[in-house]
Amino acid sequence: MNRRVLLVGLGISLPLLAFLGFAFRHDPQIVESPLVGKPAPSFRLADLDGNIVDLAELRGQPVIVNFWATYCVPCLYEHPLLMEGARRWQGEIHFLGVIFQDDPDLIAQFNADYGRWGPSLIDEGGRVAIAYGVYGPPETFFIDRDGVIVDKAIGAVSPDQLLDVANRMLAQPATATG
Amino acid sequence: MRRATALLGLLAALPFAAPASAQETDTPPKVALPPAEGEFRPGLGVETSHELGDPLGLPLSGEELDRAVAEVAADIRCPKCQALSIADSGAASAQAMRAEARSLLSQGYTREQVVGYFEQRYGEFVLLEPRARGLNLIVWAAPAAIVLVGGLLVALRLRQRRRSADEGLDTYLRQVEQETAT
Repeated sequence: MNRRVLLVGLGISLPLLAFLGFAFRHDPQIVESPLVGKPAPSFRLADLDGNIVDLAELRGQPVIVNFWATYCVPCLYEHPLLMEGARRWQGEIHFLGVIFQDDPDLIAQFNADYGRWGPSLIDEGGRVAIAYGVYGPPETFFIDRDGVIVDKAIGAVSPDQLLDVANRMLAQPATATG
Repeated sequence: MRRATALLGLLAALPFAAPASAQETDTPPKVALPPAEGEFRPGLGVETSHELGDPLGLPLSGEELDRAVAEVAADIRCPKCQALSIADSGAASAQAMRAEARSLLSQGYTREQVVGYFEQRYGEFVLLEPRARGLNLIVWAAPAAIVLVGGLLVALRLRQRRRSADEGLDTYLRQVEQETAT
């Protein structure tokens, strides 16, 4: 074979293969959130009973914010895990659910049927979901005592991640907040 | 050991996952559509000014507002769609983002501030046209580079072919001269 043809072929195909190798190592569905490491967007939302939850008032304790919906199958899979987490860390970590483009009546029915792990907050206009850059449910944001997003789960949160991040947030010393 | 026990406890919760009746919801969900402009309940939601700072432009209204919303929406990728802008998508997420853009522009935030807000939240992926910087430059430069390299290769090949054709002709003529001389 002509040596020059071989070299040109290698010159074209090797960078392409390297690029494909790099690209295939990343899930194209997963877009890293630019919010991790930054202060969590503050919000005030009403739950299904009309009680107002203000994120800023929870400062000093870790918060787990989960965007979910009844039509989202991974949300159903992670539901028992969140129930167990909310029970295990009751009084230590706040679990907040933000309804993502779903009918509050369906959410209320779901909670009545399968139990609730935290307040289900009504996000009118999806503005909180936009502020958190949510692509689709479920997405879970872990917010430390200082109100900083320390981690995020895309899709159903895994027991490993829940345990790791919860322990990390609980280990963080409480700081005086203004 | 304690960690393993805790993990086992959490894993034990999984078999109860996803009750069958809930998974079999085949009716489309009733989706709460975003409210029209100016209909957000005051005091609830996100304090956008806290996230965005002060508006740097003038509040827009009427046709000017419609035009600005359309311009911003054409640049923003719909998070739930494949390569569609929020201007072209009817998805609830796209509607919510258009409503948010409209709300911000009507408050005096500039187009750049609004696009920047979406980029801060969703990452650069939300821009339909990636910014020409860093690794993105490959996307911009690659087509030009491919055309340039391809053109050079074609030119070189043509030159080479012409030269070999000329050499072939010269040899043939020399041969003819030699044969006619004898």
